[in-house]
Amino acid sequence: MTEPFLQIQGIRKAYGPVVAVENVDLQVRRGEFLTFLGPSGSGKSTTLYILAGFEDPTAGNILLDGRSLLSIPSHKRNIGMVFQRYTLFPHLSVGENIAFPLKVRRLPKAEVDAKVKEMLRLVRLEGFEDRRPAQMSGGQQQRVALARALAYDPPLLLMDEPLSALDKKLREEIQYEIRRIHQQTEVTILYVTHDQEEALRLSDRIAVFSKGIIDQIGTGPELYSNPQTRFVAEFIGDSDFLPCKVLSASDGHATISLGDGRALDRIPLHGFASAGGKAALMLRPERLRLARISGENAGIAATVSDITFLGNNIHVSTTTDDGALVSVRLPFGHEAIAGLNRGDRVQLTFDAGSAHVFC
Amino acid sequence: MLLDFQRLGWWKYALLAISLLTAAFLLLPILFIAALSFGSSQWLIFPPPGWTLKWYADFFADPRWLQSAWTSFQIAAIVTVLSVLLGLVTSFGLVRGKFLFRETLRALFLTPMILPVVVLAVGLYAFFLQIGLNGTMLGFVIAHLVLALPFSILSIGKALEGFDKSIEDAAVLCGASPLEAKIRVTLPAISHGLFSAAIFSFLTSWDEVVVAIFMSSPTLQTLPVKVWATLRQDLTPVVAAASTLLILLTVILMALFALVRKGLKS
Amino acid sequence: MSSQIRASTASAPVRPARPSGLRWTLPALAFVMLFFVVPVAALLLRSITEPAFGLQNYVALLGSSTYLKIFVNTFLVSAVVTVISLTIGFPVAWALAIMPGRLASVIFAILLLSMWTNLLARTYAWMVLLQRTGLINKMLIGMGLIDQPLPLVNNLVGVTIGMTYIMLPFIILPLYGVIRKIDPAILQAAALCGATRWQSLVRVLLPLALPGMAAGALMVFVMSLGYFVTPALLGGTANMMLAELIAQFVQSLVNWGMGGAAALLLLVVTLALYAVQLRFAGDQRLGDR
Repeated sequence: MTEPFLQIQGIRKAYGPVVAVENVDLQVRRGEFLTFLGPSGSGKSTTLYILAGFEDPTAGNILLDGRSLLSIPSHKRNIGMVFQRYTLFPHLSVGENIAFPLKVRRLPKAEVDAKVKEMLRLVRLEGFEDRRPAQMSGGQQQRVALARALAYDPPLLLMDEPLSALDKKLREEIQYEIRRIHQQTEVTILYVTHDQEEALRLSDRIAVFSKGIIDQIGTGPELYSNPQTRFVAEFIGDSDFLPCKVLSASDGHATISLGDGRALDRIPLHGFASAGGKAALMLRPERLRLARISGENAGIAATVSDITFLGNNIHVSTTTDDGALVSVRLPFGHEAIAGLNRGDRVQLTFDAGSAHVFC
Repeated sequence: MLLDFQRLGWWKYALLAISLLTAAFLLLPILFIAALSFGSSQWLIFPPPGWTLKWYADFFADPRWLQSAWTSFQIAAIVTVLSVLLGLVTSFGLVRGKFLFRETLRALFLTPMILPVVVLAVGLYAFFLQIGLNGTMLGFVIAHLVLALPFSILSIGKALEGFDKSIEDAAVLCGASPLEAKIRVTLPAISHGLFSAAIFSFLTSWDEVVVAIFMSSPTLQTLPVKVWATLRQDLTPVVAAASTLLILLTVILMALFALVRKGLKS
Repeated sequence: MSSQIRASTASAPVRPARPSGLRWTLPALAFVMLFFVVPVAALLLRSITEPAFGLQNYVALLGSSTYLKIFVNTFLVSAVVTVISLTIGFPVAWALAIMPGRLASVIFAILLLSMWTNLLARTYAWMVLLQRTGLINKMLIGMGLIDQPLPLVNNLVGVTIGMTYIMLPFIILPLYGVIRKIDPAILQAAALCGATRWQSLVRVLLPLALPGMAAGALMVFVMSLGYFVTPALLGGTANMMLAELIAQFVQSLVNWGMGGAAALLLLVVTLALYAVQLRFAGDQRLGDR
């Protein structure tokens, strides 16, 4: 197997006693779109800033194409970056902004002009060359920033929450642009965001950050269907948790018992389980089935506490007999909902494979 | 509703009257001096019996007036350059730096602005007596730089605080060295702060009289010292002419300031 | 320096630590220490070492009725100037904050012109205006208000008028900023609660503007205490103020000990009042949030 394009090896960053990033290991393929996903303060931005050279790691190493980046100052790393805030040079026009990295590299004028044109075409801002940053919308400014970061064909592009200042509709529009540009340029992208939808929409793989460490790396479907930690389960997709007890565990699966004494078999297990220990059963609202209790109860007994219409689906909030809150999401017009009212008794069922137990 | 001009009732007219009277109080003495400088009366009678340019002729014919104006200009120009340069470097340290006592240091740098000038004047006078800097250009420059530097640190610091460092970081990642990024990106972006610093520094030195009274010698004096010395003897209309020229300079600088700020905004 | 750091962390290829920024302030620090802190400190030191070590200069300064009169004059003039400036400045700042933009910008231009015009030129104008044969006296006689010209210059009346003229912009501008920051909705709420205009003014607007007024008033008071040029020219030799006294000790009497002692008194009062002013300014900032 060939050596990975970018290797992050055991990066640690501490500010005095405060550890921002702990032992981050990561390998990135050439041309990959990898997203750092996590809440603020989880270390994702710090890792990106270490890559950019604005922060020095306390320990660890970063190899790009087999060479360590750490001894190279920021301006010689040849890395592109789009920042969270608008960072166009306010005194320069759009064209001059994109030309800046090329002029710094002392490229001949004809080449600079051609590249600026090419980049404006890439981000679909032809004709905006002479505008000032202040005359452009936030979305346009970030597209120019993207053009500027790509103008010198960097092998690696860093993006630090570039769309967080934009409203939702515009954000989706530019996410689509970024995807297209990634496919067109085949540049390797490391993208930081706290928005799971954005991460899922854009990335080949996602690294979920929590409290300075990477909880799990994988594709979107992997993280969704097989979360390794409760944090990942909570962060990717919607989830509800029911308290339960582990009866036995083997081979990565557990047999558990719920509050009503019912035992459930072969549920994927994460964490260290001891027989009789407390755990949490994770359920996905969209993978639950709901039926009115008639005769024999085959699932978790619950009472409907609220029914909300959310456009293409219906959200049913229920309270289990143990007092836990469980949501069920059903498509609009689903037969189980017809005539359902607040206070109705229902039973919730699910496939063992769609649930997870976290200890 | 006290903060809605249209709904103040008769209070509106009371406020308007006080404002206009105050504005007149502030403006009229300045216009009065300008008018007197063209008046023919040696005793400054107003309204003047006739009009003349005699006092301006006297001003420009007297080499001591011109010499002191030239001295003032030279000192102010040097002080402006040094104050902006030193202010720029210091502001970078104060705004970007992370070190103990940073706020204390900033307060120390701004202290000359709030202390009574006479204390500095007397202190520096004593010091310069010992090292022989009284009555020298260098002495003037140092003394005025002490007074001008706080204004530079204040205006450049404010501009630098308002400048997002990410923009400079972006320039560095684009391949510009840290110094190159500062020169090509940061300096143009904070140019309004540099400009205010320059104007304030120039005016501080150009108008300064208290320290200058102590620093000056019979052979080296600034325009304000010359005005001061003249006023202590009599109220000659030549001073009105000199004052009018100073007012004219103020108006020009203000207009320049407004123009540049407008230009920087668009 | 960088080689040292490299050597000590040879195991990991870490770049030298970023400079803290302190070194960029060192040139200015050296300059300010040498030409500001040391000279002023040396002057203050002379107050207890010349002509001999001890407090004799302070005893002389505080024990003499001549000097006491100067202190009283200085405080009196400063206080009167502050009160008048505040009384005129508040309504003007209030009006500026709410009047139509065009008129406001004209008045602003006048404020700035007055502030930026050379201090000596402005003081000269008042010397001419206030003299016995000056325009003010002529107008007062013309209107039949007085028979004999009033002595308006070479006394504390002249100083007070001239100082008020100079200090007005310094109180109007910060007060304008304070009033501008008050949300008009608060006063609308007061009106809807049933407050009359007077009640709104006394119970809402003034209390909200009070920290700003206190800060501005203290600033004007402190500036007035140390003023030199205007008191010297408009007050004449008989009505000396503190700054002039310091200058005279040094220049005419060459008495460094007494000069240093007077300077220390001025400095202590100034710094103490600034400390109070900073507290008001701090409270004001809290109020904004």
